[in-house]
Amino acid sequence: MESDRGLMARVARGDEAAFTEVVNRYGGRLLSVAQRLLGSRADAEDAVQRALLQCYASGSSYRPQWAVSTWLYRILTNVCVDELRRRATRATHDRFPPSPGPDHHRPPGRHMDLHRALDRVPREARVLLALRYVDGLSYGELARIRGISVNTVKSQLARGKALLRAELGKRGALHD
Amino acid sequence: MIDLTIPDRLDDLLRDYFRPEPAPVDLARRVLTTGRSAAEDLPRLEKRLAIQATSQGVSFIRAGKLDKPATAAARRLAERAREEIVEYLSGKRAFFTVPVDLSGAPEFQRRVLEATRDIPFGEARPYAWIAARIGHPRAVRAVGTALGRNPVPLIVPCHRVWRSDGGLGGYLFGAGLKRRLSQLERATPVLEGCTSTRIVCRVGCIHGRRMRPDNRVVFGSVQDARSVGYRPCKVCKPSAAA
Repeated sequence: MESDRGLMARVARGDEAAFTEVVNRYGGRLLSVAQRLLGSRADAEDAVQRALLQCYASGSSYRPQWAVSTWLYRILTNVCVDELRRRATRATHDRFPPSPGPDHHRPPGRHMDLHRALDRVPREARVLLALRYVDGLSYGELARIRGISVNTVKSQLARGKALLRAELGKRGALHD
Repeated sequence: MIDLTIPDRLDDLLRDYFRPEPAPVDLARRVLTTGRSAAEDLPRLEKRLAIQATSQGVSFIRAGKLDKPATAAARRLAERAREEIVEYLSGKRAFFTVPVDLSGAPEFQRRVLEATRDIPFGEARPYAWIAARIGHPRAVRAVGTALGRNPVPLIVPCHRVWRSDGGLGGYLFGAGLKRRLSQLERATPVLEGCTSTRIVCRVGCIHGRRMRPDNRVVFGSVQDARSVGYRPCKVCKPSAAA
């Protein structure tokens, strides 16, 4: 199987087959991160498409010292974080925010408490939790994706999980 | 007594919640199709623009030809406006620093244009919002007329004013371009940090021009950036803008 970096070298030359292979390898994970951050499947697909389009259009700026997954997650989290910012601004200004459409992500019952608890976790920690648990990324990879130190990654994850534990504890959701 | 099972239970819950899902089989094709159909109309728009300025600021922008600005100071402002518009249309700028000169506009129109400048980048407001904002809630149609004659489109963002029912409304460069500008602003972030300097700037700040693409991280707020060790830029002052 061709290496990720080999594929990216071909993507940089505009090779659509190589790009399709990159999408096949990473599309599901990217979509999962986006969907858990943005809530709706439609918004997540839109964010992933925008991120992948950036990946394709700026393939020549990819540097081989980056793992392809790290590079893709950087682009995707940049898109998702900005979308979350826009929503927060809209919620402040709109007197009547639009109600969620039929495609709004409704987590299965067993995840409802966690879904609500995650809403109370600050954005940066939420992004790190999503990356950590979708793909089991190391602290070093998380630090590189968000451009922060490993110690900050650890403290953000610990803070996020402490908040989750407190929220879920209130709801009794950590006990079977 | 501390319940040692809780952290593990939380890890299990998180792993289950964040379990990857399959991507649509045609995802790559959809991205490539979107990429191919991405319109080239925005760069073309810039080439069609003529910009007039006074020594106080940009005073008139239209497609076509205009007289050259009369003074050297005005020419510099017109040139600066063009540079900022080029960056804006290529998704590298989320704010304008060049001043505008609205002194030629009647009082009502000037108030409409100033209210329009308060609409944040990437947002849209109804005509009725502007009317209410300037204290004439019934003058919705007059607001539309005033915006239709906006002397400095793009910099005064009349493209962010839509109909209350979500319809586009008119635009002096055409409704298609109004929609494209909305898409452009949706795809352009507002705050970016540099991973090597750990400084967060507004997108379009002079510092950002020197940033390597792989050093660029987008933030949702200055507070978010501070929480992970970034400080706000002293030139573009993102805290003041937020």
